[in-house]
Amino acid sequence: MKEPSPKAHFVRLAGVLGVAFVVFLTLKAILVPSSWDYDNWYRGDALELNASYELAYGGNDSCVACHQDTMDEFSQAKHQQLSCESCHGALADHVKDGVKIADAHMDDESRWQCLNCHEARVNKPKDFPQFDKITINEHKELDDEMLCIACHSPHDPTP
Amino acid sequence: MPEIESHDTKNLIIKERSTEPDSRREFLQHLLAGTATATVLMVFGPGVNARSKYANPTDGPEHQYAYVIDINKCIGCGNCVRACKRENSVPEDYFRTWVERYVVNADGVYVDSPKGALEGFEKLNKRFRKNIKISRTVPKMCNHCHNPPCIQVCPVGATFKAPEGFVLVDEDYCMGCGYCVQACPYAARFINPVKHKSDKCTWCYHRVQKGLLPACVTVCPQKARLFGDLNDAESEVSKIFEADQWMVLKPEMHTDPTCFYIGMPREVV
Amino acid sequence: MEQLGLPGDALVNYIFPNNAHVTWSIMIVIYPYITGLVAGAFVLSSMYHVFGVKEFKPIANFALVAAFSFGLFAAVPLLFHLGQPQRFYQIYMTPHTTSAMSIFGYVYSSYLVLLMIEIWVIYRKVFIEKANEATGRMRNFWWVLCLGITTYNPESAKFDKQFAKFLAGIGIPWACLLHGYVGFVFGSVKAVAWWATPLQPFIFLSSAIVSGVAMMFMMYSFIMWRRGQGYDYVMVKKFIITLWMAFILDYALEVLEITFVSYEQGAHWAVIKPLLLGPLYESYVLGQMGFLSLGPLLVLGIASLLDIKDKSLLYLGNLGSLMLVLQVLVMRFNVVVGGQLISKSERGFVDYEFEFFAKEGLLTATTIFIMPFVTYYIISRFIPIFEGKSIDTEPKRLH
Repeated sequence: MKEPSPKAHFVRLAGVLGVAFVVFLTLKAILVPSSWDYDNWYRGDALELNASYELAYGGNDSCVACHQDTMDEFSQAKHQQLSCESCHGALADHVKDGVKIADAHMDDESRWQCLNCHEARVNKPKDFPQFDKITINEHKELDDEMLCIACHSPHDPTP
Repeated sequence: MPEIESHDTKNLIIKERSTEPDSRREFLQHLLAGTATATVLMVFGPGVNARSKYANPTDGPEHQYAYVIDINKCIGCGNCVRACKRENSVPEDYFRTWVERYVVNADGVYVDSPKGALEGFEKLNKRFRKNIKISRTVPKMCNHCHNPPCIQVCPVGATFKAPEGFVLVDEDYCMGCGYCVQACPYAARFINPVKHKSDKCTWCYHRVQKGLLPACVTVCPQKARLFGDLNDAESEVSKIFEADQWMVLKPEMHTDPTCFYIGMPREVV
Repeated sequence: MEQLGLPGDALVNYIFPNNAHVTWSIMIVIYPYITGLVAGAFVLSSMYHVFGVKEFKPIANFALVAAFSFGLFAAVPLLFHLGQPQRFYQIYMTPHTTSAMSIFGYVYSSYLVLLMIEIWVIYRKVFIEKANEATGRMRNFWWVLCLGITTYNPESAKFDKQFAKFLAGIGIPWACLLHGYVGFVFGSVKAVAWWATPLQPFIFLSSAIVSGVAMMFMMYSFIMWRRGQGYDYVMVKKFIITLWMAFILDYALEVLEITFVSYEQGAHWAVIKPLLLGPLYESYVLGQMGFLSLGPLLVLGIASLLDIKDKSLLYLGNLGSLMLVLQVLVMRFNVVVGGQLISKSERGFVDYEFEFFAKEGLLTATTIFIMPFVTYYIISRFIPIFEGKSIDTEPKRLH
C-alpha cells in the first residue's frame, strides 16, 4: 500500500467528527420539543399539561346543585363560611360526571371533626371559639363517649 | 386558557364571605389589629425590591396572582394539608403545603409540624407551655418567587414561571435530577417518590385556569389563606398588599416571593 | 439551647418536612469523586506531555489511559440518580445556560472525545501494528481504530506528537472545567449554608487533583508489583513530592474555608457550627480535617523531605496515598450529604442512613467504582501501557 500522507489520519479524524456533528444536529432538530419557548426556556405545551390535571374539590357551589336545602340551613348559621368539602371530603370522591358514586364522608362516630378546629390549643387565636376538656365536659353530665353532634348539628351548631 | 374576568376573581374570594353581613367591617378590624401587631413585630423589611414590582405591571399579563397568609387567623386545623394531598395526589411523607407550629417561650423556640399538620396539632407538651411569649401556626408552601433559584438551576428547562406568576413543573420534561430541590431555600420542592420527578405546590394551576380557587384556599375555615389577582384593585390580596403590613420568608435570599404573610412572628424562618 | 447543639435557639430538633429525605446521596458523592480522579490523572499525564517533566514520562500514557477508564464511568452514577434517566439526552437538546449543571453534557462528552483522540494519536502506531498482525474479526476491530489507515508513515510522528501536546494542553483547562463546574454547582447554591462559598470550585478541583495523583500512585505501585518489575524510584520520589504539594494546597484551601466561615460568625456559621460539632464531627473534624489530612501531610512530608530512595518510598507513598484517596472521598461525602443534613428550617438536622441495596446505595456505588479498574485492565490486555511501544514511552528501571 502506498504510504499515506503524514496527515492523512487527521483528515479521516476530521471526517468522523464531521459526521458525528451532523448526526448530532439532526438529532437535535428531531428531539427538541416543537413548542419550545426559547425566550423563557420551557416547553410551551407544559402550560396545557399543567392545566389538564383532574379536579378533586368542587367548592361549595358544586354542592348546592343537589343540596340546596342543606345550604339554606347552613348559610344562615354559624358555620356558614366553611367549605362543605372540608368535612365531607372532595367532590370527586362523591360524584363523577354528575352521578353519585359514593356517599360523601360523614364523621358521625367521633368527635374528631369538631375537636380538630375547636379543641383548645396554645397556638389558636385567642378570639377563636375553642374549648378544653373541662369546658367540654362541663356540658351537663357528659361522658367521654358522647358525641358533639348529639346536641350540635354541624350545619347549625347553635344547640 | 379560559378568560377569567377580574370581577369573577373578586367574587370567588369574597363570595364565601358575602353571606356575612359585617364582612367589610370585620375585615377592616382585622386589618387594624393585624397592622398594629405587625408593626410591633416587624423587624426587617420584606426585601430590597420595590413593591411596585409586584403590583403595577405595565405590559404584563391579564392576571398577576398572589397569595396571602394571615397568621393571625390560622388555627392549625390542617384542612389545607388534607385538601392539597387529595387534590394533587401528594405522596405520604411529602408535602406541597404544610403548617408549622411555633411556640416562643423564655427558653427559646419550639417548632413542630407533625406529618406536616395533616391531622392538625396535638396538645403542646407541658414542657414548653411555660412563659409562652407567642404561639402561632404558620402555613408554608411554594412561594412562587419572582426571582426563583429553582428555575435558574434547572439544567433543562423543566420548571418555569408561567405568565400569570405560577412557578410550574413540566412533568413530561423533568429528569428528576433534584437540583431545584437543593436550590429552594424554603424546602418547598421534593422529588415525588412515585413519579420520580420534581414536584411542588402549583397554586392549583389546574383549578385556577377553570375559575376556581386553590384547594387549600377553598377549605380554610378561617380565610387565613387568600388567593387573588394583584391586577384587580378590589381583590383582597390587592388591598392587603397595598396596606403594606406583609412580610415574606427569608427576604435575604432575594428570591422575591409572592406569598405575603400577615402577622408573622419574627422567629419564623 | 446550646447543650442540644441546635441553631436558632431551637428547643427541639425541627426540620422542614420535605427536608427529611436526602435527595443527593451516594451517587452524587461518587460522581464528583470519579470525575476528580479523571482530572487528577489527566493533569499528571499532562505534566509530561505539556510541561515536559521528564520524570513522569514512564507514567504519562498510563495516567492517560487511567483517566479515560475513569472517564467512561463518570456519568454512570448520575444515570442511577436521575428519576428519569431515559431523559438524559435533554441536557444536550435544551441546556438551560443559567444553570451550571447544564454544561455537563457538552463538557463531559467533549472531554471524553478529547481523551479518546489524545490516546488515539499517541497509540496509533500500536494500533497499526496490531491491525497488520491480527486476523479475522480482531483485524476489523483494529482497522476501525486506525480509521482505515494501516500503514504507518514515520513522518507522521512529529505531527502526532504536536497534536498530542496540543490536546494535553487544552485538556488541562478542560479537565478543570469538567471538575470545577461541579464545585460551582454546589458553591453557588445560596440555600445550602455548607455549600455556599466561592471557594468551592477551587476546593473541589484541588482535591480532585490530589485524589487523581494519589490513585495513580497506588495503581502504579500495584501494577508494577504484579508485573514483578522494579520501580522507577526517581519518578516515585517526584510523584510523592507532587502529591504532597498538591495536598498542601488543597488542605490550605479547606482550612481557609472553615477559618473564614467561622471567623465571619454570620448566618452560615450559625448552622455550620452545630453541624460540624454534631452529626459531622467524626467524618469532618476527626476524619477529613484530622487524621486523613494530618496523616498524609506527615507521611508524605517525611517521604519528600528526607533522603529516602528505596522501597520505603513506596510504603510511605502508598500509605499517604491511601489516606488521601479516602480523605477526598470523605470530603465529597461531607460536602454533598453534610450540606443536606442542615435543614433549611435553620433549627435542626436531618438523620441520614446509608442504604446498601437500594438503587443509589453502597452496593451500586462499589460496583460502579470497580468498573474503571476492570476497564483499565481490559485495555491493558490490548495495548501496551508500560512496554514503551507507543510513540514515546520507555520505562526506566532503577533498582
